[in-house]
Amino acid sequence: MIRAQPVAVSVEGLTKAYGTIRALDGVSLTVGAGEIYGLLGPNGAGKTTLIRSLVGLVNPDAGTVTVLGRRLPDRTVLAEVGYMPQAPALYADLTVEENVRFFASVHDLDRRTGAQSAVDALELVDLTSRRRSVVATLSGGMRQRVSLACALVHRPRLLLLDEPTVGVDPQLRAELWQRFTTMSGEGTTIIVSSHVMDEAERCGRLGLVRFGRMLAEGTSAELRRLAGVERLEDAFLVLSESKS
Amino acid sequence: MNGRRAGAISLRILQQFRHDRRTLMLLFGAPIILLGLFYFLTGGGSSLPAVDVVNLDRGPLGAVLAADLGRSTEISVTPTTEAQAASDLSADTVAAYVVLPADLSARALSDDVIAPTVHLEGTQPALTQPVLLALDQSVTRASRSLAAAEGMRVPALEPSLDYLHGGPGLDTLDYFGGAFIGLVVFLLVFVVTIIAFLRERSQGTLERLMASPLRRADIVVGYIGGFMVVAAVQAVEVVVFTLYALHVHDQGNVALIVLLTLLMTLVAVNLGIFLSMFATTEFQAVQFIPLAIVPQVLLSGIVFPVATEPGWLQVVSRILPLTYGVDGLRDVMLKGNGLTSGPLLVDIAVVVVFAVALIAAATATLRRSAS
Ligand SMILES: Nc1ncnc2c1ncn2[C@@H]1O[C@H](COP(=O)(O)OP(=O)(O)O)[C@@H](O)[C@H]1O
Ligand SMILES: [Mg+2]
Repeated sequence: MIRAQPVAVSVEGLTKAYGTIRALDGVSLTVGAGEIYGLLGPNGAGKTTLIRSLVGLVNPDAGTVTVLGRRLPDRTVLAEVGYMPQAPALYADLTVEENVRFFASVHDLDRRTGAQSAVDALELVDLTSRRRSVVATLSGGMRQRVSLACALVHRPRLLLLDEPTVGVDPQLRAELWQRFTTMSGEGTTIIVSSHVMDEAERCGRLGLVRFGRMLAEGTSAELRRLAGVERLEDAFLVLSESKS
Repeated sequence: MNGRRAGAISLRILQQFRHDRRTLMLLFGAPIILLGLFYFLTGGGSSLPAVDVVNLDRGPLGAVLAADLGRSTEISVTPTTEAQAASDLSADTVAAYVVLPADLSARALSDDVIAPTVHLEGTQPALTQPVLLALDQSVTRASRSLAAAEGMRVPALEPSLDYLHGGPGLDTLDYFGGAFIGLVVFLLVFVVTIIAFLRERSQGTLERLMASPLRRADIVVGYIGGFMVVAAVQAVEVVVFTLYALHVHDQGNVALIVLLTLLMTLVAVNLGIFLSMFATTEFQAVQFIPLAIVPQVLLSGIVFPVATEPGWLQVVSRILPLTYGVDGLRDVMLKGNGLTSGPLLVDIAVVVVFAVALIAAATATLRRSAS
């Protein structure tokens, strides 16, 4: 059923080494439009490197990346992509709203649309009341949310989120995932990395990554069945054993 | 105080130095470079100011004096004609020319006075002193030997000084004021840009911009635009303060001073972006100040005239943008040159070329941000 949708992201044989470290080792992956795809794996598995490859920040040693029908490197596609880096990359000396509006304009929104979209994005991450606060004065979880607002302010067709809910409290985390599901229903493709298993349950499909390789792909239920275990966490352990 | 805890801090600092090769190189390399430069600039192996001598004396003293000047250790002398000397001085290829008049020997005998005319370029006090000193020494030696041979009394030296530009009406502030306008603006804008750009790198927003539809040129032009607005205000402030509060002498067009100052800022912004590529922390960026700025200041001719540097250092001076900025500002403020003046146009053109080259270099270094 998923394969019937148009393809949003397609990665083939992607390889990237930093010195002797193979951050990506022949990763292939296809994500359909409107899917929520979860990249699951421990620290150092290669999740960040994979996501950065999708916005052209990594020059691969081998392999191809096609995003929204365009083969990278191609900067024109970036206007339709939202990228939230793992560490909240913000202008600490600007206010929340100034940050969000800045990222709206670099993604080609005009002033009026940008202003309105910033209001909507801040609403989404529940920071409307702090919009005039300088980012340096915010807590870590709040900065994470500002960073998320900056990534989705231009309503991208593809949203790349690198561990977006680190430091966000459980209640807001649940709300954010609610929004992700809504956005996906409206056609936005979301690729989200995590090492938190309960988040993984909310993704349509999962890719288990380890040592730069794609160990297995499927829904949470499929992966658990494949490994013959009850919990996704155990499935992850079993599957990484059998492949490495 | 607890020795072990304090010791832990000392040890940690040494470990950090071990990981930061660049800082170590700076700490141990920069003093050698800077002191070495200082040595060469203050005399070690430096070139002597070039001076033309025109001997029109009908008596014997002129020839003796000219020959003695030729052996001077203060200046480097070329005998020539008055017309050639005058054109050398206005072309800035000599620091001065000395005319020994037709009645030099006659007046030395009748009035006990040696009265040559010294034509000075006038905008660089550091070049005036050696000329007068050399003349004084040579007159003393030459007239002593003549006095011994021909029974003359030792005459007094009474040169008349003629300034092509500036002259005795200018004080130290006037000589350095113009150059300092360029220096202050260049230095401040460079420091602010390199820090701002490094912050963009270290806080990860540059990477975020690279993941947006922005192109590298958009980023560089955006930075130029933002900084030039502030720099324009700063340039006007600095020029107005220098001219109207400090009353630094100005012979030329104020708009030209502002223009040159702005061009210097443009160079500084792009030098900052370019060099930020070679630093990974703000700490390292600050280190570029002594390394990139101090030698430029020493070599730009602000204090030590480029003409008296050793030949190889003059070559270095000629590839530094600040040299041309300073020279241009002096052209305008001390010589009153306008856009019809060849040397000023050359200065402006060179600064523009530097600005364009650095814009290209800054844009190119951004490419390397993607790994
Ligand atoms: N720019 C880089 N330079 C050197 N090594 C890197 C770089 N980026 C990632 N790596 C290495 O690649 C591996 C995968 O990193 P990463 O993709 O960040 O993992 P994850 O996001 O899954 O925790 C790690 O071993 C990391 O040290
Ligand atoms: Mg990561």
